[in-house]
Amino acid sequence: MNTLFCTLAQSGWPEPMPTGTLFHYLVISAAMFVIGLIGFVTRRNLIIMFLCTELMFQAAGLSLIAFSRFHLNHTGETFVIFVLTVAAAEAALALALVVLLFRRKESLDAERWAELRG
Amino acid sequence: MNWMLLLLLLPLAGAALVAFMPEKSARQVATLVTLLCCVPFLAMVGQFDWARSGVDQFQTTAVWFEPLGLSFRLAADSITMLLVGLTVLLGPICVVASYTAISERQKTYYAWLLVLQTAMTGVFLARDMVLFYVFFEFTLVPMFVLISLYGSTNRKYAAVKFFLYTFTGSILTLAGLAYVALEAARANGFWSFDFEALKTAARGMTFDQQKWVFIALMVGFAVKVPVFPFHTWLPLAHTEAPTAGSVVLAGVLLKLGTYGIFRFALQFTPVAAYEYAPALAVLGVVGIIYAGLICWVQSDIKKLVAYSSVSHLGFCVIGLFALNGVGLSGSVMYMINHGLSTGALFLLIGMIYERYHTREFKKLGGLASQMPVWSTFMVFFAMASVGLPGLNGFISEFMCLLGTFQAGGTTWTEFGMIPGRFGDASLLPGATFGNLGPWFAAFAAVGMVVTAIYILYMVGKIVWGEFKAPGHSAHAHNHAKGHGHDNHHGAAHADHAHGPLPRDLSGREIAVLVPLAVACLWLGLYPSPVLRTLEEPVAMVVTQVRADVLRNAQAALPADPQTADAHTPALLQQAATITEPGRR
Amino acid sequence: MNNVIAQLWPEIALFVTTCLVMVVGLSKDRGTRKLCAPISAIGIIVAGYLAATTSVDTATTLPFMAKYGKVLAAGVGLLLLMLMAGTADRQLEDAVDRGEKFEPLRSTRAEFYAFFLFSLMGLMLCAGASDLIFLFLALELTSLPTYVMVALSTRRDRSMEAGVKYFFLGAMGAAMFLFGFALIYGATGSTALADVAYTIQNRAAGTGSIGPLALTGLVLSLLGVMFKIAAVPMHFYTADVYQGAASSVTAFLAFVPKCAGFFAIMLLVGCAGWAFGPDGYGSGTALPPELRILLWTIAVLTMTVGNVLALLQTSVKRILAYSSIAHSGYMLVGVIAGPGPAESTLASNGLAAVLFYLLTYGVMSVGTFSVVAALERRRRATAADAAIDEVDHIDELRGLWKRQPHLAAVMVICALGLLGLPPLLGFLGKLPLFTSALGAGEIVLVVILGLNSAIAAAYYLRLVSVPFLESGEPSTPDAVVPTPFPSRALAGVVAAVLVVVAGLAGGTLGSHAERAGTFRFPTKTMEATRHASQPTSTVSVPPDAAERGPNAR
Repeated sequence: MNTLFCTLAQSGWPEPMPTGTLFHYLVISAAMFVIGLIGFVTRRNLIIMFLCTELMFQAAGLSLIAFSRFHLNHTGETFVIFVLTVAAAEAALALALVVLLFRRKESLDAERWAELRG
Repeated sequence: MNWMLLLLLLPLAGAALVAFMPEKSARQVATLVTLLCCVPFLAMVGQFDWARSGVDQFQTTAVWFEPLGLSFRLAADSITMLLVGLTVLLGPICVVASYTAISERQKTYYAWLLVLQTAMTGVFLARDMVLFYVFFEFTLVPMFVLISLYGSTNRKYAAVKFFLYTFTGSILTLAGLAYVALEAARANGFWSFDFEALKTAARGMTFDQQKWVFIALMVGFAVKVPVFPFHTWLPLAHTEAPTAGSVVLAGVLLKLGTYGIFRFALQFTPVAAYEYAPALAVLGVVGIIYAGLICWVQSDIKKLVAYSSVSHLGFCVIGLFALNGVGLSGSVMYMINHGLSTGALFLLIGMIYERYHTREFKKLGGLASQMPVWSTFMVFFAMASVGLPGLNGFISEFMCLLGTFQAGGTTWTEFGMIPGRFGDASLLPGATFGNLGPWFAAFAAVGMVVTAIYILYMVGKIVWGEFKAPGHSAHAHNHAKGHGHDNHHGAAHADHAHGPLPRDLSGREIAVLVPLAVACLWLGLYPSPVLRTLEEPVAMVVTQVRADVLRNAQAALPADPQTADAHTPALLQQAATITEPGRR
Repeated sequence: MNNVIAQLWPEIALFVTTCLVMVVGLSKDRGTRKLCAPISAIGIIVAGYLAATTSVDTATTLPFMAKYGKVLAAGVGLLLLMLMAGTADRQLEDAVDRGEKFEPLRSTRAEFYAFFLFSLMGLMLCAGASDLIFLFLALELTSLPTYVMVALSTRRDRSMEAGVKYFFLGAMGAAMFLFGFALIYGATGSTALADVAYTIQNRAAGTGSIGPLALTGLVLSLLGVMFKIAAVPMHFYTADVYQGAASSVTAFLAFVPKCAGFFAIMLLVGCAGWAFGPDGYGSGTALPPELRILLWTIAVLTMTVGNVLALLQTSVKRILAYSSIAHSGYMLVGVIAGPGPAESTLASNGLAAVLFYLLTYGVMSVGTFSVVAALERRRRATAADAAIDEVDHIDELRGLWKRQPHLAAVMVICALGLLGLPPLLGFLGKLPLFTSALGAGEIVLVVILGLNSAIAAAYYLRLVSVPFLESGEPSTPDAVVPTPFPSRALAGVVAAVLVVVAGLAGGTLGSHAERAGTFRFPTKTMEATRHASQPTSTVSVPPDAAERGPNAR
């Protein structure tokens, strides 16, 4: 991972911010993403699973902001605003679906819905 | 007036008509349409310039799908004319032969039969490769419907197996054709699937490319023929198909494979065809003998005839890969003859089946006394199938063997084995060219003996011997009942412990058989007009193959003899033989 | 800026329609309420017309895809709309028929049609996306409504379950491609697709590879988008969701998100370009090796897994679901083949082949699903609403030719079309995939594609023979009857006619796809504008002709 980002830094970008700083942000963002992914795959509680996808979204947001600072433009930050909006919309949708499901099944366990098997 | 287009579209229009007519009149309409097809065909025969029989005539072109360079391109040379003639001849025969056999869903049946005729005619007429492929593939659907709706007990499995085998094979053929088209597009700068354009491009490819294209093309065609290891779908399809389906299958559909080999595999990839001729001839010979032996032990006459198709088409394949005038002409003749005689055999078996509801040897016998007319026809067509001199099978089988025999290279040239007794002498320069030899002919001739044995065995059992009345045993009873809803006659007759004595052929049935018998006799006694029309197209192919093989051999001539390929010296030796007129 | 607006007219038209539909659908008057569908139809037609008449190309490597994609979305969208009849609010309306009072709060009609139009709008935006932010929003706009549509489509738990499953996996996919987009932005410093492509390919020209960060970004975003096209390994939801949703919605799922996914894939992969060979950038006509291997593996797995699993199914909808997976695999072959040499025609341009295939697949899959949607199972014992169920098992189509010959014919034609039988439309769709992949030297891939088509033949033949060739009644205790919504069957008939007619005379459609697939080498377009004043511009201005220079095609 370290070499990866070092290579990146060496490849002549406009005004690089100190490698260490970007690197730290990226590591944290990658860690968030991976934690989210693992959580999504392993957990069976729908709310937790949804939180995991949110974590992945925010990981992307974090790296966007870091890159935005790195490239000295505002595109990444703009992107994050949109990401937050979409994330909010998804959250609304997720909660609505989960509540509906909970009313029917009285459970949030993903294993409980196995009417469709594939 | 474009008769060719009419010939192609008339059955299709007929199918649409049948679909919208009441159920009762379906068979009349179908009969009428198939008979009407003779008109455009005869007009084409009249207009065809038989002096230039190798040239594509009646060229018709229309844009079909421009972005891919697909066009609707039709034409006919003499080989096309012959095979289309066979299709047109079998059309009404199939319809009339189905009058009593098909009682349910008649509209569907006759409509698909007519669609099938369009598709088959189209295959022979198409001069755009994708159009060819379209018709080639589209023959599958009607046949699939015919088998799976009107077949016997195991029909669904047979239909699916038939479809999947041919479909899989022909997709690879399509890949091969697409590759050739790609080469053509690289050379010409535009995409086209025109036959001539692709031929030029394909012949310009290196041997390595040709090899793969040849294999790709052959996969599809070999399944369709069928060549030995790919033949397993055929007996099944034949036994399960209704009579007319079997007739079309044996008469025309199998010919699509050999026709494809003749027109595409040999003309697109001549060098590869030459190189792999022995391998394919081995498959052909194995097919001849193996299928012949299987025929010998069959207990079902329809299956026997089905396997005999595999065996017979083996001759066709070795004739094709003899790559000389005699072999190729013989092979094309064989396509026609096999269609006539095997088609007739299937018709005869169908007639017996309608009376006995069984095709088991054990339950048939002594029909000469009860059904003299049927027996006469049976013996006649069986002899045609065996290759009795004077009937059609003989001349083509002999030519295939002769071609194979001569295609051996120098040894036999010096031995003085070029007989030159075949038609025009102008065909002869190619007569020694080829990659097969006497051994292939010898083994194939063994197959002839096997053929004679099993056909005579069958005829002996059924036509002569002790007479057996229909519905003889309890077993037959069960058998007939097992056929389900498609077979009302079966259930009706089997209720009697001893069925009524079979009546002899009706006028309709005789009318079905007579045209085939006449054609068999004519092609057996006086084949030379047909052979003459074949000379030119066959000579064109032979010349192309020779030229390409020779050019390839010269190109492969290494600057340093140490690095020569193993096969180069032999090739060169052979090429030298061809070019030196003195050696002949 | 005018260009940007002009480009968005179709979406604007759809948006206006959406607002209208949301209001109209809540009306207490039954006649007004029922206007939802006609209004949506008019909106889609207007949008399609606007898309066809505006001629603005986007600043991406696929500048002409937008127009084609939008017209395609409108065309197939119209067919899908016909299928949607009666999906929303059926029980509610039946209750009103029996004299109950209409309760706007329980009605979902307005939302349903609005979501339908929103999703279609998202698809159109996807086709015209010229920026990563734009693309992200468009993809989300395409998928978010579909989650709700699945959940709303029937009253059964199955639909709800399918909706939740679809949503969660979709959200994960979205997170993945979002993270990928972030990395791509990090690697290039821009979100404008033209700039991204320019930077990446410029760097590749210098160093021979596109760089690890850009590669990671592309791989992640491609994997994320694979969810939309239901490619292996993101295909697990497909069969369950397709089975759980109402048939009409399933038809929607089989086309709209898939189409959006392919637009996105082509735009993203276009950033890396097809100019790689064994010696790095510029030495060949392939994707960067890593991407090629990734897509190659996914394509092969997708078509094989889809076809083999489809063979094992007995539910029509599951068969079609797996077949839809397999078709995604076929189309990926075109993406791998790439745009081919300069001045490529449909036959050698894999991207054009994919675009054309999307059209053919859309029409044929609408046809097959419409047969399922136009039938329903009614329990013989009771006549109550709850006793109506969807047709699912393949056996329930048995003997269809006798009872509904037109539906049987639609099924036969569309299934044979999907099988790729010439001369139907499906064959013409598959042929350019063959030729373009051969042109790119992917012979093994072509053979695998061919063999897969043969495997597929086995289950498509079942779809042909059960309704058309097998006689007798379905062995279920329920009666299989046509739905009271004739427009569903009409959609199928239209699709079937198209499959036949376009197969015989579809040259124009092919030419449009050919033009839409034109690949343009990226140029530096945004740099000046962005540094000057507009750091947040989400839509880039097309480059003027002079700037295209020697790279232009």
